[in-house]
Amino acid sequence: MDVHGLVDLFREEAPQASSELLHVWAVFWANFKIFLSYRTWVITETLSTVASIAMYSLMGLQVEAKRLGETGYGSTSWLAFALVGVASVNYLWMCINRISHSMQNEVREGTLEQIIASPIRLRSYIIGQSIRGFLVSGYFMLGVLLVGIFLLQAPLVVTVETILSFGIIVLVMVGSYIGIGVMTAGIILVYKKADPLTFLFISITEFLGGVLFPLNYLKNYPLLWTLAWFMPYTYALDAARRVLLTGSSLTSPAVLTDLVVLTLYLVISLPLGLRVFRWGYNRIRDEGTVATY
Amino acid sequence: MGYAVETLHLTKVFKGEKQRGKRQHVTAVDHIDLTIEPGELFGLLGPNGAGKTTLIKMLCTIILPTEGTAKVNGYDILREPEKVRSSFGWFHGEPGGRSLYWRLSAEDNLRFYAYLQNVPKAIAEKRIDALLDFFDLSEERRKLVKDYSTGMKVRVMLARALLHNPPLLFMDEPTIGLDTLSAVETRHLLHALSVELRKTIVFTSHNMYEVEQLCKRVAIMRRGRIIVDASPAVLRDMIQDVRAIEVEIKGKNHPAELGPRLVAVPGVKQVIEQREEADTVVIRLQVDDEYDAIPRLTERLHVDGVKVSAIRQVEPTLEDIFVRLTSGR
Repeated sequence: MDVHGLVDLFREEAPQASSELLHVWAVFWANFKIFLSYRTWVITETLSTVASIAMYSLMGLQVEAKRLGETGYGSTSWLAFALVGVASVNYLWMCINRISHSMQNEVREGTLEQIIASPIRLRSYIIGQSIRGFLVSGYFMLGVLLVGIFLLQAPLVVTVETILSFGIIVLVMVGSYIGIGVMTAGIILVYKKADPLTFLFISITEFLGGVLFPLNYLKNYPLLWTLAWFMPYTYALDAARRVLLTGSSLTSPAVLTDLVVLTLYLVISLPLGLRVFRWGYNRIRDEGTVATY
Repeated sequence: MGYAVETLHLTKVFKGEKQRGKRQHVTAVDHIDLTIEPGELFGLLGPNGAGKTTLIKMLCTIILPTEGTAKVNGYDILREPEKVRSSFGWFHGEPGGRSLYWRLSAEDNLRFYAYLQNVPKAIAEKRIDALLDFFDLSEERRKLVKDYSTGMKVRVMLARALLHNPPLLFMDEPTIGLDTLSAVETRHLLHALSVELRKTIVFTSHNMYEVEQLCKRVAIMRRGRIIVDASPAVLRDMIQDVRAIEVEIKGKNHPAELGPRLVAVPGVKQVIEQREEADTVVIRLQVDDEYDAIPRLTERLHVDGVKVSAIRQVEPTLEDIFVRLTSGR
């Protein structure tokens, strides 16, 4: 193709109808392809997930079955109890981490300037990145559950209804944290680093949410007990365990209450998160730090 | 029809670091009033830190102005940023082609940006094929960009800027990192786009030769301000008193301090440019009087044992104007 051929090609006018759906798809598709290019990471992460589940199954042998009766989820095994916690907290962590760090990667790689200079709306960008995060995290969550159920014989209640219910709970759980994720993304844009804070956040969530131990144990520590019930994850994990360990439905009062609380968190935190994100976005445009060379 | 670019007191002040308790502000762009007609090929020159890139990034809506405003293709950069963003293509010669996704192939990078720019799929594919072919990337279109050379990355970035066929192109040092042939082809393309399709092109470069060849109008920036805005012919008239000579030296094994040593010769003001051509080095000097300087330089180079293949008086170029205006001499 020579100069004249190219000029002739550009004589053709193309209709340019803006489509948010196409923008969301483009962000998801590009980021998913980038994820697939990290084959070694996917393999090692998968192996490490399987190894950690095997370790939990051995740890479960040390736990007295009687004490698990105090959890409020009927007579279950510790492996099944921990499996739901580990699968859900990992999923939450990977999704939120994706949302909060996606723009940081774009700043570091110098691609954010091109994104800003294009007609894509920021919400389309965030949704595209989130969908990629949900899917990739979903792969690992599914891996945890499948290994637990089929390989290690964890006694979970697996029916179409409980699987669908668990899926809905997980989505509402991520929704309740999306505001925090978007807010963190805005803060990271400005301060460029928030890893210590995010690690602290996830450690506190794992501990106070009762991922590996019954939450009742915290009753003796009123401050921790109160803090635990301020976290949306506590409600999400409670709902997930009720469904997968006891077979409760979404309409059972306990699960429904959990879902209502999670929705409230979503409604309150998302507008706040978007405001902080907008602040961060405009701040870097003001400071001229959209890319760091 | 209005201007392609119109700025009114456009200003950018960056907050600097605190020094002795006081924050040091840096004025990168200082109350610029500028208009560029549709179809114009406009050159923007200036030394590093003059404010060229900040000015362009404000017009691209990437950086927010501190004061003033601007319209791009008739759209206000502050009130209608989304419309502005659909109406231009931007190339920025970042170090090492960092603005691309390195873990995507060239064609996937282009596909991604085509979608963001709302180019219909069939047309996008046609243009991607043509651009990759033009920029000689067809054979390696599926290779990840991380495995590309710097020149190849630059060519992908150029293709990206053109992909959605915008009426306005901001070309911030588009030939940086390109080999000679690709640079010539790129200049031909930009010229053809301007002449045949009446695209507005705002072009920055450190290569005075290409600015002079391409642009009908040139502005020179210094410390955030436009100090001159005229055609290359008018600019050349402004420096009729500038005397320039070129010394052509055989071979390339010359000490780096040769330039400074020549400046020490009486009557030589400064080295304007030092470039390599085939097996020679060409040094361009600004002098007080060429008839006085040529014998002195010849003698000095002979004493130093440097083989001079030619020494001649030359017409002043944009480089001379640029050096003179920006160095304040």
